[in-house]
Amino acid sequence: MSQLKIIGKPISRDDAWAKAKGELKYADDFSLPGMLYGKVLHSKYPAAKIISINTEKAKQFSGVRAVLTAGDVPHNETVTRFGQSSEVGKGFEGLYRVLADKKVRFMGEAIALLAADTEEIAEEAINLIEVEYEPLPGVFDPVEAMQPGAYLVGEVDSNIIAQFGCAQGDIERGFKEADIIIEDTYKVPFVDHAYLETESGIAWIDENSVINIRVGSQVIEHFRDVADVLGLPHNRVRYRGTMMGGGFGGKEDITVETYLALLTWKTKKPVRLVYSREESILCHSKRHPFIMHYKVGAKKDGKLVALEAELISDAGAYPYLSPWVNLYATVNAAGPYCIPHIKVNTYCVLTNNTFTSANRGFGAPQPNMAYESIMDELAHQLSINPLEIRRINCLTTGKALSTTGQTFKTYVALPEVAEKAWEALGNPTRIKDKYKKVGQGLAIGLMSYGRMTFLHDSSRCYVRLESDGSILIRSGIPDLGGGQVSILCQIVAEELGVPMSKINIYYSDTALTPLAGTTTATRQTYMSGNAALKAAREIKKRLIYKAAQMMNVHTDNLDIGEEKIIVKYKPSQYLPLIEAIKACNADGIELFCEAQFNGPFTMTPDLSNIRGMIFPDFTFGAQAVEIAVDIETGEVEVLKLVTCYDVGKAINPLSVEGQMEGGSIYGLGYALMEEVIIKDGVTLTPSFSEYIIPTSADVPEAKAILVESGGGLGPYGAKGIGEPACSIIAPAILNAIYNAVGVRIKSLPATPEKIIRTLKGQFN
Amino acid sequence: MHNTRFLTQEFEYFVPHTLSEALDLLFTYQDKRTKILAGGTDLLVKMKTLGIGVDYLININEISEIKNVELDKGLKIGAAVKLSQLEKMKAVKEEYPALYEGITSMAAIAIRNMATLVGNICNASPAGDTIPPLVVYGAKLRIVSKKGERVIPLEDFISGVGETILKRDELVSQVIIPEPYKDLGSAFCKKGRVKADIAKINLAVGIERDGDICRDCRIVLGSVFSKTLRAYKSEEILRGKVIKDDLIISAAKRAAEEIKPIDDVRSTAEYRNELARVMVEDTLHIAWERAGGKRW
Repeated sequence: MSQLKIIGKPISRDDAWAKAKGELKYADDFSLPGMLYGKVLHSKYPAAKIISINTEKAKQFSGVRAVLTAGDVPHNETVTRFGQSSEVGKGFEGLYRVLADKKVRFMGEAIALLAADTEEIAEEAINLIEVEYEPLPGVFDPVEAMQPGAYLVGEVDSNIIAQFGCAQGDIERGFKEADIIIEDTYKVPFVDHAYLETESGIAWIDENSVINIRVGSQVIEHFRDVADVLGLPHNRVRYRGTMMGGGFGGKEDITVETYLALLTWKTKKPVRLVYSREESILCHSKRHPFIMHYKVGAKKDGKLVALEAELISDAGAYPYLSPWVNLYATVNAAGPYCIPHIKVNTYCVLTNNTFTSANRGFGAPQPNMAYESIMDELAHQLSINPLEIRRINCLTTGKALSTTGQTFKTYVALPEVAEKAWEALGNPTRIKDKYKKVGQGLAIGLMSYGRMTFLHDSSRCYVRLESDGSILIRSGIPDLGGGQVSILCQIVAEELGVPMSKINIYYSDTALTPLAGTTTATRQTYMSGNAALKAAREIKKRLIYKAAQMMNVHTDNLDIGEEKIIVKYKPSQYLPLIEAIKACNADGIELFCEAQFNGPFTMTPDLSNIRGMIFPDFTFGAQAVEIAVDIETGEVEVLKLVTCYDVGKAINPLSVEGQMEGGSIYGLGYALMEEVIIKDGVTLTPSFSEYIIPTSADVPEAKAILVESGGGLGPYGAKGIGEPACSIIAPAILNAIYNAVGVRIKSLPATPEKIIRTLKGQFN
Repeated sequence: MHNTRFLTQEFEYFVPHTLSEALDLLFTYQDKRTKILAGGTDLLVKMKTLGIGVDYLININEISEIKNVELDKGLKIGAAVKLSQLEKMKAVKEEYPALYEGITSMAAIAIRNMATLVGNICNASPAGDTIPPLVVYGAKLRIVSKKGERVIPLEDFISGVGETILKRDELVSQVIIPEPYKDLGSAFCKKGRVKADIAKINLAVGIERDGDICRDCRIVLGSVFSKTLRAYKSEEILRGKVIKDDLIISAAKRAAEEIKPIDDVRSTAEYRNELARVMVEDTLHIAWERAGGKRW
């Protein structure tokens, strides 16, 4: 390959200035003449029978244009979809209900929708809707909800909505062979995505009777689901995505789009709906809490022989993406370790808590917290250092993932990333304060990038070279703030030898941009990057073909760069790109291309024993941290934070570092402070004064070490980094706390209260 | 579910330009639901989230008489003086370090640009960050009404969570902080979940030094009771004694026994008891050093 000119360079993104200056228009920064304001009535109870709903007073209130309840929704109940192109069977499907009908399942569930002339009227009128409830006992603990005879959250005869298993070897024999066995239970809480931009959008009906929805969504393909709810053909609903103020998985499910579509469809007027922070925290999805029981067996030399895990997750009140998240957790349950005897069982259970669904990491961070804690304990009990225990057991190139048996033909950057992260941490910092104890901790992990292969994933991209040498790209790709859009521009700029300034991209429009699939599963650089690469290379091939004729040089000897078609062995000999374009246009050679990239396709696995390829590939990483624990107050100060991942190839190192640093901080909040506290179905942390996330004043300098093996499936050998980046830090911090003060915190977050209590318990 | 995006309630809104105008309005509407708006950083939030109903809202930010800080044998701080104005004053930082530390520990710059000192007092939150330092400095409040005025110690002003002795036609126009004793050492300490947070515990201490002896002292804690709490028994251990490390340790232990914290979203009572001891001990050390006392 010739030398890369734009790929791998720290390019400042197109959207950066507009965001910094506050000029960028988000989904709700938009209004239309005659626009109405939408509002949702949410349930007051976590579990109750709806005896009656009286909307008369609200309807008669001056300025109210529509009030809708379940009966007004053409298809109030559909099936949760994951945008898959293949049939995946019943094991993954769940009920998607637009508005509560007869029964409410969680506090905050949508019961009625209202549209009014002003936001104030909507706010006042929503309280005039009279709902008569009969409170029901409900069930709020997933273990309790699993028992026979438990309160039934839904309408089926069990609260267990999904079960997965993985097994290899003979687990009993494995534990018999072990010299040491460690068993423990770990817990992780509900957490919120806490994006700056709450769920919001605006909808209107255009001159072709198409419902347009301007919304921040990670999955614009939900236009199909919205059309199904309304009973409309799919081509009558159009999503127009905008740059987003964060997604983190929270905008992977439908948020406000169905409500907007229903209200605009009913009133025939534009409608805007913006969730308040409280609505965002109370009514939309959370990260799954897990209770994880682990048992590992090892030889005296530290070599793992057996791992048994039982994972129980709280799905909350509706399935949404819970089965998928639990499948991820199952595949990730044994981490990046080679263990001959494995048994993993995962149960996903409905409760009357706020529903849970995708959250950055999608089921990978939870088991990572458990297996990396128990690995640290194993190292401690065997007096092996944390790096060494991982060196002895980690996956390496050519070996198979213990849970599924999937093998890696490309480079597995273990233990390389662990060594680099650990080394970068350096010697422990000396602190004079006698009450502050310094500790260092290490954790490694893996996370897939790209969707599950049995979903048969694809992405499309359109590229057009204009007659003046500028380029137009169209891609359905949603940009959550991670720079997804900019990556495609960079790839096309590189391939066609055109500066970034000459590229314009249209994105996230289901009618006019080719569908690129979801911005989830850390898949866009890999999938849409490859689609853009394929389209650009096709155009490049045509240009070079024409230029070869014009220059009388063989095509193999030509390359494109700096708006020229250059003879490789004699760079002074070139054809200006513009001349090649003119000639192609004159000859009718197409200088546009819409390309589709397909990921690997596999069959739906046996869910009771998942084997073989489930994901296209994985990203491997390590985090090392140094912390100081105040033994009198239990406060943890993170002194050093090193994150090292094999990213394959950093298309834009600035964006990659941003993901790695941002991911670390996202995980740091998970480790030390974040928890949506839900007691008997009632959220006690409904705003940012109760739900605490780290701010810039609370975080240390993060050091990002990029390993670029070139071994990824993405363009130029890139791997995905978005989600892997946040999935490992929590246990690194817990292990550092153990290293500092000898207490092992087994439930997140590791608050000062827990640390002090555990410290005191230890001495009593 | 409440909506924090905007205020939905209707109310009459006044912007008086003189104190007497404001007092007339308070007098006229004393039987109605009337509120004074200074910074609004607590009031507006409460109107949104707690559904506090207001019929008349009196914005006092345009009253020039209460927008100043007088520097004359202490400080006299008007009711419309913003916290950020105070934190920028040399006199506050140097003469009243605990107050300076209390103010700068609060929220973020944007909030401090709006919020007022008197507002923080009248909000009467058990976690109010400026109250412990002000009690340490023996602050008094000038309370005015159409009928006259009275000056009372801040300590006697707050009666419970969000409750004060202020009558419906009255307004706190000024905080009066006396000149500190020449060898006073004072300090503030706060623990939150993150840097910008409401306190799990906040506290301020002041020690007046006479040679090796603690001539007088105040130990005042917030977020440990329904209102700011003075640890009298702990103060008693230090008062009139030669200050030594073990004395500070026992005073800190005593203070931790005097508080009556609760479990809430921010922390637990168990932890607060533990934390109070550590914080009082640390802060007493700092204050003693600031008073010119010997280090150990």
